[in-house]
Amino acid sequence: MEETEAEAERQFSHRQRLKAAVHYTVGHLCNEVALDKQVQFNKQTVAAIAEVTFRQCENFAKDLEMFARHAKRSTVTTEDVKLLARRSNSLLKYITEKNEEIAQLNLERKTKKKRKPEDESSNSREPAAEVVDTET
Amino acid sequence: MAGRYSLDPGQTPRTILRSVLDTVDTRSPRQRRSTQTSAQRTPLQTLSSKRQGSRTKATVRRHSYGTRSIGGLAHVQAHGHLEQQTPRTLLKNILLTAPESSMMMPDSVMKPVQVPEMVESSRRESSLGSLELQLPEPEVPSTLASGLRATSKRKQRLRLSVFQQEVNQGLPLAPEPPGNADFSSLASSFSLSFVPPPQSQSVKRPGLARRRPKRQPVDVGALLQDLKDNSLTSALPGDNHRSPVATLPMDEVLEDTQPFSHPSAGGSLSVYCSLPNPSPSGVEGSEGLVLHRTRSAGTGLQHMNRTGLGTTPLPFSEPQPQLPELREAVGSQEAVEEQEGSSGVEDSPGRPASPELACGTNDLLQAEQPHQFEPPPPSAVSVLPSRTRTAGPRHHQDPYKAGLSHYMKFFSFYTKRPVEKAAFEIVEKCLDKHFQHLCNDLEVFSAHAGRKTVKLEDLELLLRRQGLVTDQVSLHVLVERYLPLEYRQLLIPCAFSGNSVFPAQ
Repeated sequence: MEETEAEAERQFSHRQRLKAAVHYTVGHLCNEVALDKQVQFNKQTVAAIAEVTFRQCENFAKDLEMFARHAKRSTVTTEDVKLLARRSNSLLKYITEKNEEIAQLNLERKTKKKRKPEDESSNSREPAAEVVDTET
Repeated sequence: MAGRYSLDPGQTPRTILRSVLDTVDTRSPRQRRSTQTSAQRTPLQTLSSKRQGSRTKATVRRHSYGTRSIGGLAHVQAHGHLEQQTPRTLLKNILLTAPESSMMMPDSVMKPVQVPEMVESSRRESSLGSLELQLPEPEVPSTLASGLRATSKRKQRLRLSVFQQEVNQGLPLAPEPPGNADFSSLASSFSLSFVPPPQSQSVKRPGLARRRPKRQPVDVGALLQDLKDNSLTSALPGDNHRSPVATLPMDEVLEDTQPFSHPSAGGSLSVYCSLPNPSPSGVEGSEGLVLHRTRSAGTGLQHMNRTGLGTTPLPFSEPQPQLPELREAVGSQEAVEEQEGSSGVEDSPGRPASPELACGTNDLLQAEQPHQFEPPPPSAVSVLPSRTRTAGPRHHQDPYKAGLSHYMKFFSFYTKRPVEKAAFEIVEKCLDKHFQHLCNDLEVFSAHAGRKTVKLEDLELLLRRQGLVTDQVSLHVLVERYLPLEYRQLLIPCAFSGNSVFPAQ
């Protein structure tokens, strides 16, 4: 029981730190947008955006895992990410372009170096990061 | 004059009654008085045949009144003057005159109308199980009460109570002429099931009595028309394409929806027969579904859906056989939804029959639940155009929108408020978009798994995304909660296994 409580405590603190990180990033982005568009952002707005981003990230993660499992894979790939982003046309286009770029890079790497399984994992990580960035 | 109206000792009550019978026909105390001035027996000969006819009719009833009203009649004759008549005697005179035209005429006129109704209702009754009988039972007292009020006759009261007993026992009714009046009311109550016909008013006024038989055929016709309109929206589009295959199972399945006609075993068999049908069509269905919006694939779940719609408690089974006849090319959105659910998912519980606009988390709850319906938040539906646009949206849109009108009725019912037409249109648009999204999702999910057929897993994934299927709530739980028992039996085969283990230990 104590362990589970400590575990929960740790998870909670972990969450809080993640939220703080997201909030920090969102604040930076909002500042950039404010400078760009000559508008100002309320603190509550920034907090709201950060909270929404965090929850959406959770949803994305769950969906990605579901999609990967649905395709009977244990790895999340760009296909899963594309499936996730299909609602938004522009986002989908963006991701597809990025995916093609990365694929080209991978091909170049393959021609230069030996084939490595690490590239696939980097593929999956990079589009996910892009998704987060484009979302925020 | 006064001497005329004094009671003669030689006059018996019978003679008094006779004289009153002669004079009462005129329905006017003044006329009665004038006729009474003449000899008492002469009106028999001098009066027209109409009076005689009415007298013969009236004699049947008058005798019952005779004992009661003899004193009143004597008073009428004795006093004669309108001014001298008490209200009581006036009322009695009216009672004597009024039922003449109302009681007998409706029987003669309504008999041809009653006969088919009686046949129908007796057939219904014989075919009705206890379930359906409960429906008219609460109405029987109401119509009986109205009948009682209408006809204040003791004879009829007895018959009505006997009739009620018979109804409770489920026996076919014995056709009795006075009972027909009430029986027709009950028959119409069978047919209407929520509007008891106001017969009591018509009986009290003789002039309106003639209109009564007109009302019933109109009511039934209007109701059938209403049902036709409903069935238009619910008629499935795939019937045109697969009519030769679909007729038999659909008819069977349609009939199976009536809880009293066929056993569920026969129904399940027929549905099983229809279930393999989607598999060949599912291959094309999932691909061509969203891209072309073809209304093909009258799949088993479509049948199931139709039967599901049929199981909504319609008060009578008669219009349902008309549904296969009304097989018009109305592609309702629910048909598309069914295709999505069925063309890929043979065993899926995604019987997304009915209509629903729900809140964001319950987006697919609507697809599953037959009749739950909540006011839609249009914001929940993403308004972005879907990636795969249909090839011919114009051609198919109108029938789909027409099909959505069926959902609008549910919507208006559940809002419990009057809704603007503009609001209806917007709700329809949102519903349309929502269903398009769902169909797209299913197709994409199946493609994602490298398949061409939409399968149960795809639907489960969709539900999971909707938040309906969670780690706590599984698909089977939803099936058990929201689908009729027959579907549960089909979709969860082990539910009916009765805990029997193979091989036996």
